[in-house]
Parts: sequence; structure tokens; C-alpha cells
Amino acid sequence: MRALEHTALRPLRAADAGATRLFGWRHNPLHQTGALAAALLGLLIITGLYLLVFYRVGAPWQSVARLQADPFLGRWIRSLHRFASDAMVVAVVLHAWRLFAQARSWGPRALAWTSGVVLLAVLFVSGWTGYVMVWDTFGAELAVGGARLFDALPVLSEPVRRIFAGDQSIPSAFFFINLFLHVALPLGAAAGLWIHLSRLARPALLPPRPLLYAVFGALTLLSLAAPSPLAPEASLLAVERDIPVDLFFAFWLPWANALPPWLAWMGAAGTFALAMLVPWLTRRPRTGTWTPSVVDERQCTGCNQCPQDCPWDAVSMVPREQAHGAQSTMVARVNPVRCVSCGVCAGSCAPMGVGPLGHTGRDQVAQVRQAYSNAGARELRPVAICCEHAAPEYLAALRDRDADVRLVPCAGNIHTSALELTLRAGAPGVMVFTCPPRDCRGREGPKWLHERMFNDREAELQVRVNRKRVATAVMAWGDRPAVLDAWTSFAARLKAYDALSLGQLDEPLGALCEPVPLEEPR
Amino acid sequence: MTHASWPHRLAALAVTTVALALLRAGSLVPLRATAAGDSVLRLSWSARPERIEQCRRLTNAELAERPQHMRLRWECEGRFARYLLTVTIDGQVLAADTVHGGGLRHDRPMHLFREYAVAPGQRRLGIRLRRIDANVRPDSTSDQTAAGAAAADRETREAQERRVRRAEALPEVVALDTLLTVASQRVALVSYASGQQKFVLRTHD
Repeated sequence: MRALEHTALRPLRAADAGATRLFGWRHNPLHQTGALAAALLGLLIITGLYLLVFYRVGAPWQSVARLQADPFLGRWIRSLHRFASDAMVVAVVLHAWRLFAQARSWGPRALAWTSGVVLLAVLFVSGWTGYVMVWDTFGAELAVGGARLFDALPVLSEPVRRIFAGDQSIPSAFFFINLFLHVALPLGAAAGLWIHLSRLARPALLPPRPLLYAVFGALTLLSLAAPSPLAPEASLLAVERDIPVDLFFAFWLPWANALPPWLAWMGAAGTFALAMLVPWLTRRPRTGTWTPSVVDERQCTGCNQCPQDCPWDAVSMVPREQAHGAQSTMVARVNPVRCVSCGVCAGSCAPMGVGPLGHTGRDQVAQVRQAYSNAGARELRPVAICCEHAAPEYLAALRDRDADVRLVPCAGNIHTSALELTLRAGAPGVMVFTCPPRDCRGREGPKWLHERMFNDREAELQVRVNRKRVATAVMAWGDRPAVLDAWTSFAARLKAYDALSLGQLDEPLGALCEPVPLEEPR
Repeated sequence: MTHASWPHRLAALAVTTVALALLRAGSLVPLRATAAGDSVLRLSWSARPERIEQCRRLTNAELAERPQHMRLRWECEGRFARYLLTVTIDGQVLAADTVHGGGLRHDRPMHLFREYAVAPGQRRLGIRLRRIDANVRPDSTSDQTAAGAAAADRETREAQERRVRRAEALPEVVALDTLLTVASQRVALVSYASGQQKFVLRTHD
């Protein structure tokens, strides 16, 4: 399964790089597939409510045909509803692919993965009911195909397919049940999102507004320019030759028609079971990189910062069992079941008392000391600290440009004391390259790092550190020029600053007068 | 960022347009459901098989031994009949199967749904449903008269109910032998009309 993850990662990185080149990392839709899926669900509910007003269970096709005949609203809203549902399937599948390829499907994330698989199944069933409701030739084909599969189960003695034999009209109750399910399932999916996101702190439910407007606008334009046609009304005594099929929802139909029902069921059940088992198949031992954070209670001051910063709600404050002297009454405690070992808590802890083993603030400081212990009098190079998930070829390019490249598990893991010590050891400057904020495996690493370095968030970079010698930049796949530009500018800035302040002490306080915005103005 | 340049914007627009076109194309893929010219013969019915049973008229003494709510004059044991279904088109046998009632014990109505691809044109269609199982012994009777008016009335109702059930059941043989004109891309539907105890043929036209 690990080999499959690596195989899936390669095309993902290529796609990421391409999308970043075209849209920039801020608006790369591949970084925000989950948020896009949630936004599209909202759009589907809104457009669905409009369509619901005009739908009639007694005359399903005729009511949709009336909508289709309305060129002002009905036709494009129906098309928007359809295309948005297709886009949602694409977004959800890409979201699953991304998380699988990035090994984010197991351990503490298993609940999100398995609930996501169930939500995807709900999406497909909901789509099935929606198309059947229209009762055009495609809807009838889906209904008959579904009935054929259902009849293979030993549930009812009377075949469901007899409803569609053609000797009697389809009862309104059938369409009413479909309508009910088509309304209830998406609402249930919206509630299921709560479970899906229950282990996240501050989940991002919507993409950035420009991307949101662009996606909704593009789908609206498509609906206006090339609305989805309405297929002819279903006739159960006619054999349709060419049926316009929505492959996003009916990809299974050709197989289900060609295979014996039991084989089709086995294929569906096997696929579902395999998807549900992915967290188990991809799990890692919780050692090394994957060891959960631990709290050194002797160091904990009870400041409540790590619970605030943890992107997974894995840290909570509990009463200290035995307080000695001036120790706080509360102490942080990590729930290892929820901890994904991102190390963001290590960067948040001023006394350096929490973090995954080997990645706490103390470990980082020790590593810096070790790195500079033999530096001697030689001239030190500016340091580029990069997230280890960054593009390796960019690292080589940075080394070619005289950068002393260091890797960390996540930029949010970096303790500001380690940055300060690096400068005090003689490095002329430190630039931290983070993943794009919406693609951070620690979810909020870039955000918290920026706030700690420039906006005085606990554990802040101390006032005595000259802000002109530190910087952050985003290292996104496909954005090599921006990475190298950022580094070149930073290196030039350091050189210019060193030339100006030759023989003088740094003046660090100036940079702290105003908070620095999280993203540079575009 | 380099992506803000005009060539990048145009490329982004082109990629977005292609993605939208693919989305629409994937949403409307023509699926060839059947081979060109195929038509379908569809058999669909629900009918109650005849009950093959041996009935015995209980004596007054036997009835008296039973709880009040179980005093049926006629006690029957048996099962529902099986039938041989034969379907022929122009003399060619499409099916010759044994069919029976639904449910695990086959004591539910016979629900049948089958489809056969047939070439369009004029065809001789033969469908025959013949009972396989038969009654082997006549019902045994006792010559005792019912004790009391209520018991007599109940016995009359029992007899009536059994007559109705027998009338509703499939007869020993149901057959359809007809010339059928099957149009291209059309369904010929054969169902069973229980009131007339015969097969009914419906076509699209």
C-alpha cells in the first residue's frame, strides 16, 4: 500500500505543479478540494431548493420539462445543479486521492477517512435518486439498473423490476420516496460533515473567496452557455439505444448491465470494503516520525497556548496531579489518539516542554548548537529552513545559491528560539520556506509560524532578534521562480543590510511596531 | 508571482475552459444500451400458484378438542404447485424452466420478470405455463353435519373461501400462441390477467 501511496503522489505533485503555475498557490484548486466539495454541497442545496418548488411527483418529467423550457432561471439553475453535483464528485475524489497520496489516511485521521468514504457513497446514492426523479431515459435506465441489482438480494420475493415492466404506470409514491431521499441524504451528508471534521480545530469549510467565486462563476457560465439538455421522457415499452449518461454518477451502469448482478455487488462491496480498510492498510507504527507529542510537565507553565494552536484538538489542559512550588495548577496533556505528530505544539511552547520526541523546542535548540559547534571562524551562510515535504529539486537550487538548507517535519514545528540561536551562532539570516498554507500537512503550520515570528504570538520571536534577518516564503510545487526569487531577494537584502551596518549593532526594535499581515499584498 | 502575467492568465483560462468542457462531456456520455435493432420480449406477472393439498373434513369431536379460534372444519395439508414455463419464438425454445411461488417456502405468489432479446419482425410467439404437480387423492370427508348454526355458517364460509382461492390461482395450463409483430427498439410485454386467467400481450403501439 505504501508503494501505491508513492505511485499516487507522483501524478499528484505533477498536477499540483501545473495548477500552481496556472493559478498560483493561493488559488490552486487542488489544494482546496475538501473545502470546494463543501462549498459545492452548499450550492447544490441552494439550487436544489429552487428546483424543489417546481417538482411534481405526479408528473415528474413534465415538471422538469417546464423548468427546462424557462430560459431565464429554470434551465440554467437545473444545469447548474447538475454540473455542480458532477464537480462535487470530482472534488471529493481528488480530495481522497490527495489525502491517500500524502499518507494522511490513517491513525488519528482514520475517522475522517472512513466517514469521508461513507459520505461519498451517500453522494452517489443521492445522485441516483436525483436522476431517477427526472424520469427521462437516463433516469429510467438508472432505476432499472438499480432494481436489477436490488433484485439479486434476497430481500423481497417480488422483483422490484416489475414496477418498471410497463403494464402499469409508475406509482407517485416511487417518486415521492426518491424526492424524500434526495432531500434527506444531502442534509444527512451535511450533518455527516460534522463527524468528518470532528477531529479538526478550526476546519476550513470554504475556499478563499476569489477561488470560490471563480468556481461558482465558471459553473454558472457553463450552465448558461451550454445548459444540460433534457432527455426524452422514459417509456418502459421502448428500448432506448443511446442514452445520455452522467458518467460521474453512473460510471457503474455499463458494468452492472454487463456483469451478473452478484458479481456487480461483489465488485461494489469489495471496493467499499477496500476503501474503508485504507486506514488500516496504510497505518504506521507510532515511532520515529510518527511518535505522538508528549508533555514535559516539569516545563509546562499552564499557559494554555498549545491547546489553542493544536490544529487537531489533541491537546487539552487538565488539573496537575501534584503541583510543586510555583508550578501551575493546570498542565497540558496530549491525547495520542488524536495527535498526528505534526509538531505544531512544539513551536507554540515558550518553555519548550511539549512536542513529538526528537522535535521539541529543546531538541531543535540542541540540533542548532550541534550544527554550529564546529563552525569556528569560517563565514556562515544564510539558512533556508524548509518543510521536508517541499520539492527536493528546489532544495538543490537553493543550495546552488549558497543557502545552508535545513529540513524540518513542518514549518509550524519550528521554535523561535531555534531561529534566534541560529542568528546568534553567526548565520547572517534565516528564511523559512513553508508549504502553501492550504496544503500544510500540519494544517496551520505556516499561519502559526508567521504569527510567532512577526505578530508576537506565543512563543514569539524575541524582540531582540532583528526582523530584517528573518523571513518566510512559500515553497509550492510548480512555483520554482517564486521560490528562487524570494531567496535571491532575501540574500540580497542581507548583503545590503550587512554592508550598511558594518561594524554596528543590529537595530531590532523597528520591525515590531506594526503587525505584519499573514499574506503579502497582491 | 509569474502566474499573474498575461500568457499565464490565458493559459489558466484555456485550462479552465477545457476542464468545463470535460465536465459537461462526462455529464452527457451517450451510452449504447442495446445492440442496434434489438427488441425485447418481456414477461412480467404476479399470480398465485394452485395449491396442491389433501383436505380432510374434521369430525365434530375433533373440532371440539381444538381451541375456539382454530375450529376450521377442513384441515388441509399440501404445497403450492410448480409450473413448467416454455417460451418459444418461431418454434425456437427460448426457455423451458420450472417456476414456482416466491419466498423460501415457495408459498408466496409467483412473481416473474424475464426479458429476452428478439429480432424485430413478425414472429410466432408461444408461451405455455403448465402445472407440473397434480392432486393425487380426492379430499376425504366425514358425513357428520355441523353442530349448530354458527358452525354451519363457518363451514359455508370456509368452502366459499377455498373456492375463491382456487378460482384466483393459476389454472392447470395457461398458453399464448400468437403472431407477434415486434417493432425495432420496442418491448412486447406479456402479463397475466388473473380475472380472465389468460396471458395478455401488449406492445408499444
